[in-house]
Amino acid sequence: MTIAVLLKQVPDTTARITISGGVVDEAAVGKWSMSPYDEYALEYALQLKESGGADLIAITCGPARASKILTDAAAVGADSLIHVLTEDSGMDSSNVQSLLAAAIGRVGADVVLCGKQAADTNAGSTGPGVASILGFTCVGMVSEVSTDADGFIAMRMGPSGNEKVSVSKPCLFAFDKGSMEMRRPNVRGIMMAKKKAVETLTPSDLGVSLIDSRVSLESHSAPAEKPPGQKFEGASSVPTVVSKLRDEANVI
Amino acid sequence: MPYDALDFYDVDSLLTEEERMVRDMVRDFVDNEVLPKIEHACRDGVFPDEWREELGNMGVLGAPLKGYGCPGLSYAAYGVICRELERGDSGLRSFASVQGSLAMYPIWDFGSEEQKNHYLPKMASGEWIGCFGLTEPDYGSNPGDMITRAEDMGDHYLLNGAKMWITNGTIAQVAVVWAKLDGVIRGFIVEKDDEGFSAPEMKGKHSLKASVTSELVFQDCKIPKDRILPGVKGLRGPFSCLNNARYGISWGAIGAAQACFDSAREYALSRIQFEHPIASYQLVQNKLSWMLREITKAQLLAFHLSQKKDAGTWIPEHISLAKMNNVDIALEIARVARDIHGANGILDEYPVMRHMANLESVKTYEGTHDIHNLILGRHITGIQAFTRSLE
Repeated sequence: MTIAVLLKQVPDTTARITISGGVVDEAAVGKWSMSPYDEYALEYALQLKESGGADLIAITCGPARASKILTDAAAVGADSLIHVLTEDSGMDSSNVQSLLAAAIGRVGADVVLCGKQAADTNAGSTGPGVASILGFTCVGMVSEVSTDADGFIAMRMGPSGNEKVSVSKPCLFAFDKGSMEMRRPNVRGIMMAKKKAVETLTPSDLGVSLIDSRVSLESHSAPAEKPPGQKFEGASSVPTVVSKLRDEANVI
Repeated sequence: MPYDALDFYDVDSLLTEEERMVRDMVRDFVDNEVLPKIEHACRDGVFPDEWREELGNMGVLGAPLKGYGCPGLSYAAYGVICRELERGDSGLRSFASVQGSLAMYPIWDFGSEEQKNHYLPKMASGEWIGCFGLTEPDYGSNPGDMITRAEDMGDHYLLNGAKMWITNGTIAQVAVVWAKLDGVIRGFIVEKDDEGFSAPEMKGKHSLKASVTSELVFQDCKIPKDRILPGVKGLRGPFSCLNNARYGISWGAIGAAQACFDSAREYALSRIQFEHPIASYQLVQNKLSWMLREITKAQLLAFHLSQKKDAGTWIPEHISLAKMNNVDIALEIARVARDIHGANGILDEYPVMRHMANLESVKTYEGTHDIHNLILGRHITGIQAFTRSLE
């Protein structure tokens, strides 16, 4: 069995985001990390590999800096690393999906794990899009996955509780917050990761002709500032506070 | 707020990617498994056993040693590990220093092939804890006059004497003990269950409360002949261990200082007095910028020393300078950080008072601040000032 895990490098959730010229200034991002939902996908990909003796291939698509998360994946146990090198950060989701699908096809993976959405764009289209191109079954909002005799058992969060579903290959699992956090690497893994080569592929290496983006970014804007806090003193303010809590904050 | 490690000159960019990955691994461990438990561990006066286990799992024990199941990392990586551990707590870093530099290192450097194969893999994995017995109740800065004696009884050695201030003593399976055999200092490997050996814990510390500190008592303690370290005689044995541990401390102290700075900056920005954050007042800014200045200098000192350690171009006096300076500034930074926190600084809700109390020990152990000055004084003048004949 060959498992692919799709990883995206995003600004760390603690990084300060600045907007310059109407778009997020990537050069000003101090720290880049693996997207948190992808970490869950990677953890469960490692568990599948360990339970079934599979080959685990970590794939990312992005600029040169993104290969760092592949080394991080190797440190916890990914067997081989593929970096689809694209310098155009404005590329839309359908191009990214085509590139990732081509990379998955190239390595012959029949099980794919990824995060349900990336922490930077929150688009949520990669998993379903890649599954659609490859003709794989897509299971979303997954919190756990394990193998069974016929294929896989996935736990997913349904609208009214947890759902346990059975899926057969080929398939793609898009992870919500998983039940287990991604494992911490160890020194042995880190030293092995240093030796593991990253295979870098361009769109033409993959035989993908990029199309004009059908969705293009108009601008980014910061979220609205929170209104300042209000302060009330003395017993006489109680009715005002109660009415504000009831009618404005909707908490009582 | 997530930890924001002060690195004003971006000194960590000089590390290799592998060293930075090791940093991130240890930092994650400290964030998720040490800091949530440290105050309880201090109140209870225990070193949580799961920390031992995870240090072994991460593979950081005996970091710069190669072979025999040891990690084989650079001295720079070892320094970074110490720094990140001590950002959590000096007691945690002490555990790792003693295990790696004081117990594993002498076996690795001076032990027989059989001793290395027997002890090192289990100590690197954290399965066995080690301790180091040099200091005695009456011989601290002056270990050369130690009282503990070994006697050759033909088919075994007999050990008599007592050691004090021994980190990990009570919880250790393996003790590397220095004792005089026919007047010459030799290293002996003592095991927990050896006849005539006991390791009572010392209680009542106001410092390093999450670290186990013990006495080692030898009363006609029988040691098999194959437990002497064959490769070294004299003070060079223990001193070479101390050089490595002191090197780690020079990095570790930076971690404690960074933790105090981080907390002081956060507190100063959020604490309002006279209608403004105290961070907006010149006196507080002066304190913060002094901390930044001293931490940055300490980082550059430690980094350059790491390169000399890895290149083999260091001398012990280089380590004395770094240990002395970096602990000195870390302690002063902890005190100033406590001051910035005002009364809140004495609470265990903030890490500053704990670091401050820990650093008082760190200033004293592994060569006191003053002894390191004397080591440098001897280096500068060629005249030793440790002792003299009194008229």
